[in-house]
Parts: sequence; C-alpha cells; structure tokens
Amino acid sequence: MPLVSALAASHAPNILLEPGREWEDFMDLHYSMAPQGSARRPTLDQQKKLRQDAESAFAALRADLEQAKPDVLIVVANDQFVNFFWNNIPTFFVTIADRVQGQFTKHKFDYRNHKELGKAIIRAGMEKGIDFSFGEHIELQHTQNVPLHFLLPQATIPILPIYVNTWVDPAPSPRRCYQVGELIREVANRATERVAILATGGLSHFPGSPRIGEIDESFDHQLLDVMRQGKGRSLVDYSVEDLLKAGDTEFLNWMVVIGAVGDAKASFTAYMPDFVATGWGFVSWKLV
Amino acid sequence: MSCYDLSRLLFDLKMNEAVYQRASADFENVMTGYDLSSEEKDALRAGDPRKLRQLGVHGMLCLYIKRLNPQFRDNIYWAQK
Repeated sequence: MPLVSALAASHAPNILLEPGREWEDFMDLHYSMAPQGSARRPTLDQQKKLRQDAESAFAALRADLEQAKPDVLIVVANDQFVNFFWNNIPTFFVTIADRVQGQFTKHKFDYRNHKELGKAIIRAGMEKGIDFSFGEHIELQHTQNVPLHFLLPQATIPILPIYVNTWVDPAPSPRRCYQVGELIREVANRATERVAILATGGLSHFPGSPRIGEIDESFDHQLLDVMRQGKGRSLVDYSVEDLLKAGDTEFLNWMVVIGAVGDAKASFTAYMPDFVATGWGFVSWKLV
Repeated sequence: MSCYDLSRLLFDLKMNEAVYQRASADFENVMTGYDLSSEEKDALRAGDPRKLRQLGVHGMLCLYIKRLNPQFRDNIYWAQK
C-alpha cells in the first residue's frame, strides 16, 4: 500500500542534550574549531525555550505519524564515523540486522529491524540499477536516536535504518537521492504493511568547520517553502556544492524522503535556528 | 596526500576505549602504532583541531583530539555517538 506518512527532522545532538551543563559542553567542544562562534551563545533560558520549541515540533510530527498507524518506520540518516570509516564508506546502505541498538547519554534505544523490507528495497534497487550496500550490524547514533527519542520512544514497531553518505566527499547528488526515494515509494506501494519514512539531519550547519555557528536561514526557508508547495522535484537540480555552500549536505537525507513523497505538499513545517550551530527543521507530509 | 592513519587515530580516540585509555597514559607510545609524519605528530601534540584540519582531516574527527585535553575529558560529547 502507499506510504502512509513521511517526516523530516533535524538530529542536532543539543536537541536531546539537557539545557545547562550539557549544552555548554557541546558548545565548548564545537567552538574550539572557531572561538569567534562562541560570541552569541544562547543563555540558559534561551536553551530551555529552544528545547520546548523542538518538543512542540516533534509532537506535531509524532501525532501525524501515530495517526497514520504505520507498521514500520524507515529512518534515512547519515553515519558520522560510527559504523563507517575510510576503509569502506557506502554511498547508500540498507540495514538487514535482526535488531538495532544504540545509546545517547542516558537514553538507550533498541528496536527490531525490518530486514525483510530492507531486502525488498535492495532487490528492487538491483532491478533498477541502484546497488545498495548492506550489512547485518550497525550501531544507532544521534542521527537516528535524537528524532527517535521524540517520535518513537517505545519500540512499538520495527524500524529500518538506511544510510546516505552526506558526510564524506564525494557524496551522491540530490537527483540520485531523489531516485532512491522514488524506489522506496515503489517498494512501499507493493508492501502489505503500512510504511512510514523519516529523514533526519540538517538544516544549515557547518560542523567541524571554521564556519561553525553560521546558519544560512535564507537557504533553509527556501527549502521549506519548496516542500510546502509540493515542488521538491525541482530540488534535484541542486548540486552537492550548492548544498555544501549553505551547510546543507545532510539535506541529501531529506532528498530521499522528497523522492518518496513525489509532488505531495508538506502539511506541517517548523523552523528554528538554535544560535549554536544548526537551523533546526521539522516537516510532515500527511499521505493518507 | 592521504591522512588515513592520522584520521584513524582520531577515530580510535573516540570509538575505541582501549586506545583512548592507552593514549591518556602515554600518547607518544600510541602514536607509534600509526603511520604518521612528523608534521602530523606535531599537530596531534599541539591538541588544536584547527591545525589537524589544515592537514586534511575531516573537521569532526579533528575535534576528537580534545578528548585528551583534561578540560574536555568529562565533556558530555563523549557519552553520545
């Protein structure tokens, strides 16, 4: 049956870190790359307000997800040197483990992995000229755990982590990511179960760069506007360099979901720059 | 020029607890286990992620050198991946 829900959300660690000491630790580390970025650190009250705003946005997404009653949630995210290193960096990777687990500070995560759906996607890709890497063991990291904490805190349904290399040059084009999303939609259409999909990451940020602390809000708002208009297909003409310049390479994860929803209009968007590093973005597409 | 071993050492500092513990006790000895140039060793000793980045290391891996800095040893960042 058709996809029942599509979501996209930032996975910035400070969304789930506790305001106060944990946020300060996070900022201390990142600003060691660019001390000038520290100039506009959010106060404790601002940190708390940002956390509340993020929780509100996630609550809207979770309501849409639960209303769609999915049987499985595909999670499209990037690895950040947890599972993959330069001995082997897959462009697209599908998880075919039985279970997937991870930890983020005090928060533990443990889900059944829907490997049958994973294999169906791999096989469909081989028919269409998209050859996924795959493997039986991955460790969940913040790129999945932060959104899952808010969207699927109880492991009531299995997930299926799919990785996109947005992190290491050379990365796949937005067009290719869109095609992967189209493929996933085709597989979902043939599935007997209700499939939902979540992309994580972004929006604008420059981790590990002298530009840490800069956020291209204008570019982010353009992306969100395009999604509200249901014109995500037009984004395939962006180059990776365009996204890199705006600090939006993790938007490649989102391009997979945009390919999966096609011309559907986003029914909910929210955006808040965190004044630390990242433009936090949240989007939902109601598909049923 | 590849900086695979330099990157690998930084990766191991975060992801491999045994390497981190050994590096905390004797970083010079740990460095001998990686194929590093003298320039790379100097950048590691300096503990400045900006210098590592200039050598071509991915920016996020550069930050991992901070785990050996006493001021950052208890940073919450190391409790998440």
